[in-house]
Amino acid sequence: MNPNYNITQEELEYIERYINNNMTPDELAGFEEKLNNNPDFKNQVEDIKTLLLGIETQALTEKIETFHNELPDTKSPMEQPSKVRHLDFRKWVAAAAVIIAVGSFWFFNGNSNSKLYSKYYAPDPGLPTTMSTQDNFVFYDAMVNYKRQDYQLAINKWQPLLTNKPENDTLNYFMGSAYLAKGETTTAISYLEKVTELKESAFKNDAFYYLGLAYLKNNKIELAKETLKQSNMADSKTILSELED
Amino acid sequence: MNTLTDINSSQIIELIKNNDERVLKSLYQSNFHKVEAFVLKNSGTKEHAKDVYQEAFITVWNNVKTNKFTPQNNHSLNGYLYTISKNKWMDHLRSKHYKKTVVASKLNHFEISNKETQESHDDILKENRLQGVMQAFKDLGLPCKDLLTKFYFEKKSMNTIAEELQLDAASTRNKKYRCMQKLRELALKKR
Repeated sequence: MNPNYNITQEELEYIERYINNNMTPDELAGFEEKLNNNPDFKNQVEDIKTLLLGIETQALTEKIETFHNELPDTKSPMEQPSKVRHLDFRKWVAAAAVIIAVGSFWFFNGNSNSKLYSKYYAPDPGLPTTMSTQDNFVFYDAMVNYKRQDYQLAINKWQPLLTNKPENDTLNYFMGSAYLAKGETTTAISYLEKVTELKESAFKNDAFYYLGLAYLKNNKIELAKETLKQSNMADSKTILSELED
Repeated sequence: MNTLTDINSSQIIELIKNNDERVLKSLYQSNFHKVEAFVLKNSGTKEHAKDVYQEAFITVWNNVKTNKFTPQNNHSLNGYLYTISKNKWMDHLRSKHYKKTVVASKLNHFEISNKETQESHDDILKENRLQGVMQAFKDLGLPCKDLLTKFYFEKKSMNTIAEELQLDAASTRNKKYRCMQKLRELALKKR
């Protein structure tokens, strides 16, 4: 743009009438003659054109930003079955938005839950293994494997013992602990639940704690809260307070 | 999206030229996810998809506006938008590749670029001017920006705008003129 010329209101409107095709044939003829004979005038017209295009383009740029932000949260249309297109699109979009909202809530929640889980979870250290308890040799032999973090081997050794004593709290508790340490949370839950359902057990308190953590890992928040409330371990209360906020 | 399917092509062209919000919005929103899927499949991110799509959208709008592209129907308009987006993304991928691999042959590079600049010198100058105006309009005070948007983008009549501003037509015209002066000054300063 040439800074050296000034344009009057009349000149501006005159050029705009030309750009917007709002001229009478007579006026147009005069305008075109001037355009052909006066290079300065031609530049001036070009400048105004650029000015108008710039306004429109920038306004559109800002407009499509709002279109983008109001984009319905649908999946790629290629993934939709073709019948869906005949349904009322807005209803479908609304439904999709709800699903996505719930899904992402679950997803993000899940993320923070598993973070919380890994923050607090440490495998039960296991029982001290002494050489004296001969009658429980297999159990303590497996405990050595458990402490060496060879959880599958420990499970393999404990499993036959459990068939003989299905109600044994110690066995159930450590089977649960081993599965949880292995990352097989759902299996772990079934063993730990058994311990918490027993009337009396030295492991009850710990079982509630680890069961709560297992629920947390599986994103069963309400169950996790209920379970953790029944354990009086200090960490249970800390996790509970983190879950509340 | 019904807005685009119920009207014929010459109407669409007219509506796009008039920056009809419903048509532009529908065009924008019904094609984005296809482009996004393409960019994501071809080593791009969601941000890349948005950038390349918006750039393509402006190009399509401009080409319809200047009659460089005359869509025969909605399908051809949607297809055109998709193709331009795709090409822009492929260009982007190629240019990145180009920068990484051709560093060694600098001599050739100079010869080529010299020829290229000569050919597109005017285009670059024009594009720079346009960018200057756009930046200036972005930074323009809100009252002027509003008025000029109503006038040049929404294409409302002088009388309608005067009514909205509760001014008479003559003062509105004068106000518009002064806003244009301000915009020109700002655009000049940018360069």
